[in-house]
Amino acid sequence: MATTKVPEVRDITRIERIGAHSHIRGLGLDDALEPRQVSQGMVGQLASRRAAGVILEMIKDGHIAGRAVLIAGQPGTGKTAIAMGIAQSLGPDTPFTALAGSEIFSLEMSKTEALSQAFRKAIGVRIKEETEIIEGEVVEIQIDRPATGTGAKVGKLTLKTTEMETIYDLGNKMIDSLSKEKVQAGDVITIDKATGKISKLGRSFTRARDYDAMGAQTQFVQCPEGELQKRKEVVHTVSLHEIDVINSRTQGFLALFSGDTGEIKSEVREQINAKVCEWREEGKAEIIPGVLFIDEVHMLDMECFSFLNRALESDLSPVLIMATNRGITRIRGTNYQSPHGIPIDLLDRLLIIATSPYTEKETRQILKIRCEEEDVELSEEAHTVLTRIGMETSLRYAIQLISTAGLVCRKRKGTEVQVEDIKRVYSLFLDEARSSQYMKEYQDSFLFNETQAAAMDTS
Amino acid sequence: MDAESQRVLEYLTEVEEAAEDVLTTKQQIVDLDTKRNRNREALNALKHEMSDSEKVKVCFGNMFIKFPKSKTREMIQKDQEQLDKEINDLRKGLKAKVNRLNEMQGKPQLRGYNLSPLSTDEVKAINSLLKR
Repeated sequence: MATTKVPEVRDITRIERIGAHSHIRGLGLDDALEPRQVSQGMVGQLASRRAAGVILEMIKDGHIAGRAVLIAGQPGTGKTAIAMGIAQSLGPDTPFTALAGSEIFSLEMSKTEALSQAFRKAIGVRIKEETEIIEGEVVEIQIDRPATGTGAKVGKLTLKTTEMETIYDLGNKMIDSLSKEKVQAGDVITIDKATGKISKLGRSFTRARDYDAMGAQTQFVQCPEGELQKRKEVVHTVSLHEIDVINSRTQGFLALFSGDTGEIKSEVREQINAKVCEWREEGKAEIIPGVLFIDEVHMLDMECFSFLNRALESDLSPVLIMATNRGITRIRGTNYQSPHGIPIDLLDRLLIIATSPYTEKETRQILKIRCEEEDVELSEEAHTVLTRIGMETSLRYAIQLISTAGLVCRKRKGTEVQVEDIKRVYSLFLDEARSSQYMKEYQDSFLFNETQAAAMDTS
Repeated sequence: MDAESQRVLEYLTEVEEAAEDVLTTKQQIVDLDTKRNRNREALNALKHEMSDSEKVKVCFGNMFIKFPKSKTREMIQKDQEQLDKEINDLRKGLKAKVNRLNEMQGKPQLRGYNLSPLSTDEVKAINSLLKR
């Protein structure tokens, strides 16, 4: 029997590659916004998660726009994880744009242009499209050609739904487009009333056994229900940047696909802003302020910071979330010192969420979650050893060891990673502290060694 | 029956009623569309299959009446307009009813439900975005 088997679509990139934060599924808060100790891939960081949750709710309700949040904390304390958590819990409809601070320096456009594009990517516009269509299954199609071969063709098309059936008279144009689409009895089609465009949705299930041999691409659909002449409403969410791109004439809409959009004139942006505001007033559009996440924000320079200051004040502005792991340091491009490497005036506008280092218990939990994510089984002792390594070196290093230890374990045909495997990879791969130690011991034998320059510029 | 189950029953009745309301409206639209399509077929038939001088037999309830052709066409056209208007009104009402049902069931409101549609020109302008 022709039971339609849905082919299993496997996303290769999802299976083979596991990102550092792939285990994060949300912020792990309950309905009252109280953080649970371990939930949705999040462990610990209760205070900062709760703070992020409050902001998240405000974003969801659309209460805040043009605000900025800074997540600050030491390396490996879950800053990016919190940002990912926010992104995951926003849902598919709220735009979320992520950007690394250094990214804007390598693009073929000015820094401020890159920033404004990122800003506009993070603002969604919801619009509705409404079409009158005739949708039905073709019962019969009959075309009379005049005997002379030339002249007007006439025809009749019988369409039905589960509820009704009717006959349409066809003109020359409709006959042409019907034959162009190769419409035949048993097809389910829609006809756009305004444009007369015909699209084939597939073949009706009731006709599934008409022929034995047919192409693999033949799709079977149910006979439509209800009335023949329907009204179809589709709600789309597009970002302001996308509208910008199709309207910047020199590029055309093809630019959207190549990813290289070049610079967009400010006049184009202003026109779009005006149009969108007009739509909003006419009730044709809703504006959804999304989230722009800038990681490693200390990499931005003075120019960018003052741009951010200004951009946050515009009325079409998303919620800006930034993350940094710097303490008091030099602002890039100046000689001034400032907390987090961010100018004081911008810092003043930020809500700051601090993350604190994980405790031993939390580290243990995170390692366990990562093991599950990377499909590695860990014995109890190995887990303890790994946790110790995580506490003494860094959490990231310990996480790196998971998959490598998994490989070593598989090589000796074991099923569970033992302490020996961990020891082996620990000896194979150096952590940051041991590597520095090694450098200090053997620095004389390295190339371009500058022992004299003791005060190295680390900025 | 205690007060608790009484309340649940009342609530369920209310939801059922709202749902029934939605279904009735839908059926009404289907019925009207059937009628509209039949009228359209009749208009086509009048246009193609008869000479203008002839009178046509029109069925009113359970009796056929001979009627002049132009008069008949006018009548049907008027009926068509009326039907179009009624279907439009029903569709508008249907939206409110579905919203009410969703609210009763504690489902979130449909996104962008109350937006007015873009005009065809505007849709054409950003078509390349919408067709993804």
